[in-house]
Amino acid sequence: MSGERTVRSGTPAPDERRGPTLNWLAVAGLALSGAFVVLAIAAPWIAPHDPTRLFEPMLSPSRLHPLGADDVGHDLLSELLYGARFSLGISLTSSLLSTLIGAALGLAAGYHRRTGALIMRVVDVFLAIPRFPLIVLMAAFLRPGPATLLLFFLLFGWPRTTRVVRSQVMAERGKGYIEAARLIGASDLRILTRHLLPATAPIALPRFLSEFQHVIVAESGLSFLGLGSPLVKSWGMMLAYASRHPTILITDLWVRWVLPPGLCITAMVLALAMIGVSTEMWYNPKLRASGRRIGERRVVRAGSEVARDRPVGPRAPAGGEYDLRGSVHSDAARPRSAAHAAARDGALRAARD
Amino acid sequence: MRRSIITYLKWFCALGAAGVLMSCAPAAPGGAPPGDPPAAAAQDPVVYTCPGEDWGYPTPFTRYSRGPGYIRMSFLFDTLTWKDEHGVIPWLATEWNMSDDGRTWTFTLRGDVRWHDGEPFTAHDVAFSYQYVHDHADQIFWSGDLARFERAEALDAQTVRIHLSEPVAGPHFNVFGSVPIIPQHVWEDIDDPNRYLAPEATTGTGPFTLAHYSKEEGVYVYEANPDFWGGRLKVDTLVFPNVPDVAAALRAGVIDEGSFWGNEVQAVREFEDDPSYRIAAGPSFWVLQLIFNPERAPFDRVDVRRAVAHAVDRQALVDQVTHGGAVVANLGIVAPETAWANPELPDYAHDPALARTLLADAGAAGAEVTLIQAGYDREAELIRADLEAAGLRVTVQSGDRTTVDGLLQEGNFDIAISGHGGIANPSTLENPTWPAPTSANPTYDALFTAQAGELDTDARRDLIWQLQAMAADDLPVLTLYHPLMWVVYRADAAVVPFYTSEGIAGGIPIELNKLMFIER
Amino acid sequence: MKAFQRILTVFLVLTLNFFLPRLMPGDPLSYLDNESPGSDSPLLVTEATRQKLLAYYGLDRPLGEQYVDYLRGLARGDLGWSIYYNAPVTGVLLGRMRWTLLLMGASTAIYVALGVALGVISAWRRGSALDGGLLVGTLALGSAPSFFVAMLLLIVFAIRWRVFPIGGASTPALFHARGVARVADVAAHMALPVTALVLTHTWGVYLTTRNAMLGALGEDYARTAFAKGLRERAVVVRHVLPNALLPVVTEIALRLGATIMGAMFVEVVFAYPGMGAMIREACLARDYPLLQGAFLATMAFIMLFNLAADLLYSRLDPRLRAT
Repeated sequence: MSGERTVRSGTPAPDERRGPTLNWLAVAGLALSGAFVVLAIAAPWIAPHDPTRLFEPMLSPSRLHPLGADDVGHDLLSELLYGARFSLGISLTSSLLSTLIGAALGLAAGYHRRTGALIMRVVDVFLAIPRFPLIVLMAAFLRPGPATLLLFFLLFGWPRTTRVVRSQVMAERGKGYIEAARLIGASDLRILTRHLLPATAPIALPRFLSEFQHVIVAESGLSFLGLGSPLVKSWGMMLAYASRHPTILITDLWVRWVLPPGLCITAMVLALAMIGVSTEMWYNPKLRASGRRIGERRVVRAGSEVARDRPVGPRAPAGGEYDLRGSVHSDAARPRSAAHAAARDGALRAARD
Repeated sequence: MRRSIITYLKWFCALGAAGVLMSCAPAAPGGAPPGDPPAAAAQDPVVYTCPGEDWGYPTPFTRYSRGPGYIRMSFLFDTLTWKDEHGVIPWLATEWNMSDDGRTWTFTLRGDVRWHDGEPFTAHDVAFSYQYVHDHADQIFWSGDLARFERAEALDAQTVRIHLSEPVAGPHFNVFGSVPIIPQHVWEDIDDPNRYLAPEATTGTGPFTLAHYSKEEGVYVYEANPDFWGGRLKVDTLVFPNVPDVAAALRAGVIDEGSFWGNEVQAVREFEDDPSYRIAAGPSFWVLQLIFNPERAPFDRVDVRRAVAHAVDRQALVDQVTHGGAVVANLGIVAPETAWANPELPDYAHDPALARTLLADAGAAGAEVTLIQAGYDREAELIRADLEAAGLRVTVQSGDRTTVDGLLQEGNFDIAISGHGGIANPSTLENPTWPAPTSANPTYDALFTAQAGELDTDARRDLIWQLQAMAADDLPVLTLYHPLMWVVYRADAAVVPFYTSEGIAGGIPIELNKLMFIER
Repeated sequence: MKAFQRILTVFLVLTLNFFLPRLMPGDPLSYLDNESPGSDSPLLVTEATRQKLLAYYGLDRPLGEQYVDYLRGLARGDLGWSIYYNAPVTGVLLGRMRWTLLLMGASTAIYVALGVALGVISAWRRGSALDGGLLVGTLALGSAPSFFVAMLLLIVFAIRWRVFPIGGASTPALFHARGVARVADVAAHMALPVTALVLTHTWGVYLTTRNAMLGALGEDYARTAFAKGLRERAVVVRHVLPNALLPVVTEIALRLGATIMGAMFVEVVFAYPGMGAMIREACLARDYPLLQGAFLATMAFIMLFNLAADLLYSRLDPRLRAT
């Protein structure tokens, strides 16, 4: 009994009872989103018909058409599968691009004060631009279609990432090791790519996932409002046509026309969100199930407690953590404003938005 | 700190409660002062509910020109003549006669009419109304035609004489059955009728008074006018709520009637077997058409346009897109239900092979064209397939309506899908390619001007038939289909909607003729 | 310097608000004619009439002049006249604003309370099936597009089972009602839109609270409180929760600024007379004065709530007070 103590709570528990741990969230999320991606890629082979082909309008579900046909005669299941291609394709592309661009700009903004100020002004203006008239404007000038949508999401995707990456870079820039690297003569480029870039990865990944989710839902919303690309097969357009059908609210039509695309969007976005939450947990060990629990009597070995206190995994930027590199810059420890505090207290959380 | 958070939360709840209270004080711009419930009838008040939206504050000048704003206003204001399901009937005027040259019209007015505020109605109000509307015609959108109005004079309290600069054919459409009569004592000092929103602005002679109007909610509540000169009303209160879906509201029992149009016939069919509803059908006097740009190749050639007419399967559009909610259009544009429609027009049968040959012969095979449209995605899909089968390379460009209208007005398009109403009125032939500009054609224009002043109905009809024959031959537009209209209404209601002959006033096709609320 | 930058941003945005609608092809007059059934014949607007109307609305003057007038009007508090609604812009905005504020206020209050409560429960019972269920549940609801959720609510609760009204903000025939009857009517019409907004927005506050609680529970003072022997619930609610709420407050304030347009889909589905639906119509109709006024209002809101977030945070976080 000498090496053991029974403690109440606040004491780290070793292993059991995962709950919403890293593991099953990430696995479930990856599996679900992976399934959708596979379906999207395989659509041309597994779809029963060509989605642009016209059959009889309003066919009921049958073996030939498992979900039936829409109001002009497109096979709904084929539309659903091909819709995955478009919706996922455009979301993935735009979120990837906007994260890359945003991160690059954020790095530049965080590193050079002057450029930083200029870039942040542009960010402020972009964040203040009302989105709806801009999409109407773009749809009016350019042809409403995939390219316009992509451009639109790019335009609105990068500012948030830039802002978040920049505050991260600014927080890191003041740290000792950067100073040290500069002193030994490392070039700016090397500092940026070798040191700062990896530090922004924990921020960029949740932002990418968040943007991905946002674009999937936004594409469906824009199509619903009539600003999408009408001749394209996407989940949003399916919902748009369904919602305009005169009997959609008074018959059971919605079960086979509204539910499938709606649930697909929900499931895909949920999968991404689960990955995002588990990523957050990975980087912020306080959130792990294997961290602290309350109200539990645990038997621990003496001496093991201290080791448990160390955060495991990549260096987490969350505030309140003991900085392993031993920074002595005290003003970096005190938040300067609400946004800064928010960035520190949960940079990942702010990035998640 | 804990206290601060709770304090802030309390503030938050207080703000929320304030918000709730704020919304409980409804703002009623115009209409009866808030707080007066509708006058209670002897038994339970009869309320009739129709769906609608915001169509403007219902005075003749502030009602929106888009949509049924006129109808909302017509419940409050009367005209000299009106129409029922058969034709023109006397309304504020009991008798009228026209001089031989067609330029002078004399009306005898009813003597028992009072304004909603109790003032007596006289011929001076009529003369004033015509003059006022004519003077302010540029400030308000007016589809009536007062271009030929010269002056009006009140000969005595019950007789008014209206002078026109030239005779007007079909005057009850655009003039006497359209111009609302407004009280001189209210409007004589108002310079900007567009912005006059006081409660007095809704003073009329009509069967209803306005009890409530909310612009943002898009709702109207009318109360029966107990002193209405035209007789007893079947309802005490007329309510227009704003519902997101008419069929659903009908099914939920929220409204007493709902109107449907075009492909909404699918919703109408859901009520066919329900004995608690009746269905009435009527024409919509609307046409969807393919507009060609005559300034751009290849559509500057008439043989190419004819090829397109053979290529497009118009019956398929009616069957697959509207699901039987429309009829294949009359190539002469004018509504086929009217006597003005020319029954002997050349037809361009759906013949893809012929279309391909014609196009190839014209040297237009493989031409790249852009089809613009706003909101006609399904039609665009089918038409594109038809045109590609005939040998054209078609790109479909969609947009919102304003953008497409803008492009049409500028003439910046190849071919477009667009539609409009008012085709019961032959004046629709003036500009067949509206909203795109119509290229000048002196013979056509001369014919049109002639018919506009032709007082002999048969002669006028001949002229109109000639115009249609020219249109069908030259094909400035390819008319596609005419959507139909239905009204589904409660079988047990005392009110029975009907469709007015040639549309209400200037040709409004909907069923909301105020006569349906009056005991006849 | 910061203040100057802020003013510059405001000025830039105001200018953008002016030019953006005018960049769109078409003009406000194209919506004045008509294409819907139930309307009069298409108006054959002659060029002369068109010019007269442009002059009436002041649209024919050079752009620079219109811009100066716009700025002058802003300084006076005069937002102009809406062409689409034929009413003063201020009146239209206020009329719509109160419904948006009502919707926004009610749904925010509910999803904040719900999110915090569920977040606390989740953190408290971390690792249990309840935690997992709540997490996936709120995430799933938040992943659904808001108009999808709204449509389903409409179908199930307003049409299949007629529990709630089918749309609108109030029953027109009850326009003269006061007091409890009026509140009940407005509340009934608000129920489904608020539910749709609550279901789709709870996840954010929930996650933030949960994470903040988990973080705060690990802090030394929490440990001390437990070590002192206080009951669990007392520690969680009275000691830990207020500190964990700091980031939640920021999150709420930032979210509130974005809710004017966020409710647009729900407003469209339920025909609710809010600002979002109005902005959409005004965009499609190119109603320049109304759009300018609406964007001004939106921007003011966002700035107001950002400012509130900063103020609140600095007041609540003692570390910032020391600056």
